Amino acid sequence: MSGLIRWIGDLAEGDLPVAGAKLARLGELRALGLCVPEGFVVTTDAYRRFVASVAGFVDRHLEAVTDPGDLDRVEAASAAIRHAFEATPIPDEIADRIADAYEELSERCRDLNVPTAVRSSAVGEDAESASFAGQFETYLGVAGVERVLEAVRRCWAGTFTPRAVAYRLRRGIDHRESPMAVGVVELVHARASGVAFTIHPVTGKADRMVVECSWGWGEAVVQGLVTPDHIEIGKTDRRVLDYRVARKEMVSLFDYARGEVVERPMPPRFRDLRVLDEEEIAAVVDAALRIEDHYGYPVDVEWVISRHRRPGDPVAVVQARPETSRPAGGGDGSGAPAVDVAQLARSFLLGESRRDRR
Amino acid sequence: MDLVAKMLHAGAYPHSDGVGHPGPIIVEQARWLTEADLEAFWVLDNHYPRGMSPLGFDLVNIVGTMTQAIAERIPLPPGRGLHAVVGGTHIYAAEIPVTSEWEMGYRGYRAAQSIPRMIAGFADAWQEAVEELETGFAHFRETDPSTLAPHELGRHLEDAVTFHRRAWEIHFEMMYPLLANYVGFYGLCAEFGIPPGEISKFLQGYDTKIMETDRELWKLAQVVQELGLEETFVGRPVGELRPVLETTPAGRGFLEQLDAFLDRFGWRTEGIIEPTFVPWIEDPSPALAAIRGFLAGSGSFDFEAAHTASVEEREQAVAAAKARLTVEEQEAFETALAGCRAANFAWWNEEHNYYIDMRSHIPVRRAAMAIARSAGAAEPEDALFLYVEELLDVAAGRRTWAEFDAVVRDRRAFFREWWDRRSEMPKVLGPPPPEVTDPVLKEILGVNEDFLRSLQEVDADAVELRGTPVSSGVARGRARVLRSADEIGLIEPGDILICEATTPSWTPAFGIIGGCVCDTGGTLSHASIVSREYRVPCVVGVGVGSRVISDGDIVEVDGDEGVVRIVERG
Repeated sequence: MSGLIRWIGDLAEGDLPVAGAKLARLGELRALGLCVPEGFVVTTDAYRRFVASVAGFVDRHLEAVTDPGDLDRVEAASAAIRHAFEATPIPDEIADRIADAYEELSERCRDLNVPTAVRSSAVGEDAESASFAGQFETYLGVAGVERVLEAVRRCWAGTFTPRAVAYRLRRGIDHRESPMAVGVVELVHARASGVAFTIHPVTGKADRMVVECSWGWGEAVVQGLVTPDHIEIGKTDRRVLDYRVARKEMVSLFDYARGEVVERPMPPRFRDLRVLDEEEIAAVVDAALRIEDHYGYPVDVEWVISRHRRPGDPVAVVQARPETSRPAGGGDGSGAPAVDVAQLARSFLLGESRRDRR
Repeated sequence: MDLVAKMLHAGAYPHSDGVGHPGPIIVEQARWLTEADLEAFWVLDNHYPRGMSPLGFDLVNIVGTMTQAIAERIPLPPGRGLHAVVGGTHIYAAEIPVTSEWEMGYRGYRAAQSIPRMIAGFADAWQEAVEELETGFAHFRETDPSTLAPHELGRHLEDAVTFHRRAWEIHFEMMYPLLANYVGFYGLCAEFGIPPGEISKFLQGYDTKIMETDRELWKLAQVVQELGLEETFVGRPVGELRPVLETTPAGRGFLEQLDAFLDRFGWRTEGIIEPTFVPWIEDPSPALAAIRGFLAGSGSFDFEAAHTASVEEREQAVAAAKARLTVEEQEAFETALAGCRAANFAWWNEEHNYYIDMRSHIPVRRAAMAIARSAGAAEPEDALFLYVEELLDVAAGRRTWAEFDAVVRDRRAFFREWWDRRSEMPKVLGPPPPEVTDPVLKEILGVNEDFLRSLQEVDADAVELRGTPVSSGVARGRARVLRSADEIGLIEPGDILICEATTPSWTPAFGIIGGCVCDTGGTLSHASIVSREYRVPCVVGVGVGSRVISDGDIVEVDGDEGVVRIVERG
């Protein structure tokens, strides 16, 4: 089998250098029996071969930048390299393999010209750190060989955004140490989507999980363009403790004319409509807790409810990460909250406001 | 004497001009308000709506001293108890702060050790305290001061003051740990995102001695009906009832039951500590007015139903709060709630009023008046316008009553003048704190954002006032603006009671009113607790309700939203 393409279902432990963190984890979750969309990875080998064809150009431009704080030079190098990426044809050997895999994906999905999500999946020690999260692109609703190739090339170019260039420079990382894999996965036609945290992301309480969701695709939620419905769930008995329906002003939806997912104002009838029912919440919670169980630490999960999903079906998982945003010293994942009434009385009696008043 | 002569030395150091470092307890007594005091924040103490008589000042100073003594002993981390400044005859209270950060932390450490122990032992400790208070009070209940020889009266007054002091020592020994316990529970609830208005509901629906008194009054109203005495009660001032009742067998039958009731429950006054309030055993008019109120409501008030509803609301509130908690949080909540119920501040607040607040000063009043009588005073109540030391001088024959004639006349006039000025007294003095987060100030004294704002924006034409919602439901009715509990006879069934604040003496009114609005108070103040037990919609901390609302206005009280609307000017 060629090293340029790997199917998600064929990924095994130790494939992170080949598939990048995001896709390697999807492979792992798929093996675990979770509902992960069908798809393939354009491997880091493919990326390396492509970059090799423009290596001289890339190095020359990077050498010109020595100070990560020199924004003008960083921007100029970034623009030149990305322009070169987009102007350089993908070597036939790679393009043919991607085209072939895309046709097979259509066949596997029994869907001609299957719309896909093309996702960057970086490798490298900082690929998953909060400071780097969200820097790499995702293209939703990409259909047809030409557009898939175009999206793959743009994902590759994403390794040379000004932020990424400056970041590597500051940390002394060579771009060859952080190659980029790209996932091409079947686009789940989202009725609703969102995120699930298996630990309270704000208070760090380990006995509470949080689900946030909106209509349509999850981009508007992940990018913070919409205030999502907020649901809190007791982790031990999976009981819904609180469901706060938000006024959802924006939505990511599929524009059939343009063939991609776009951000639009939420249609009025959907704005104040509660997104998830009890059964759907239970399915989201089930998926998130299975993932946490597998890894043994709190996670956040991006999930999608397909328009074809029926009660009892699992929800689709499109991404999972260790939960990094919780405050240090918050919940320890052991369950019971530490509550000491005497301590609380003491802290209230010692209230900060009293001290400030003097 | 040689010993005395030897101490006359240039280097003699003990007590040299008061240079020595003060001891742990700062015994600060109430003093005149000065300009300098206006730089600190003071709250008009709603416990004393009449202001203080001279004897009242002696008694209230003892109470202040006890807050300081117990705050040191437990200790309370942030404060050394209360001190007071006096405007005219009115008390403005503030906390004496602990200023050293280290000391506050150290006191916090000590409190964290001592308070849980006190809470665990609370039920037994309170039982013992009740027995002690009953034992001590029995002496004064059984002693008729008019039977004492003149030389015994001074000692009897001193004994009465001693009992008052001990009663208030017990008061704060019990109150502060309970308060800390409540505050801890409050903190837990806040941590769990439970709305503050819900927290006090968790502790309602527990029977108290004050409720027992009211039920007995209600039973007496039924006796009036059974004996066919309703006609006698209607349209006659309650002060004139006894002579009329004594003329018929049915009337005498009722009086026998009334006296039995007064013997048990009549050792109470319409206000606390201040001795010018007349106890029911001396003048049972408030009891008779309450009975007449129940009669006018013609049995519309149903104690059992109100109690059941109160318990039901409590259980619903607990269930609703628990539904929003995780299994682990529920466990912590239940443990803390059980602790709070076993040492229930809201319950104790009513219970202790019966044993301490409403009666500790009655023996002092009786002893003082007996001294005046024995000294030949024409008006025994003049005794309340002398200080304890002055009364002891009279009792010991060091001074005559006649020497005080002019003094008493002037003091009485001064007292009356400032009593009349009560409604104009500013509710707070000095700069208010920028934000109120302290639960004690907020929930008990009711000094919260709404209250402070309402004081800043006094608008006489306002038709909507905001306060703290403390008892659920909506009621509309005729406003009855009262200045003290001895006016509760004016209330008609369904009226909306508008007042500064209530004390336990107001409780009988809650059986007939439609709703309640108080200028001051929080979720744990008296009106709030009683409203919840009587299922009466109530809003407190309105600030200027008794100034903006007039008798006869039609008002609507929304006890869920904390809004009082003046629907129609009377």
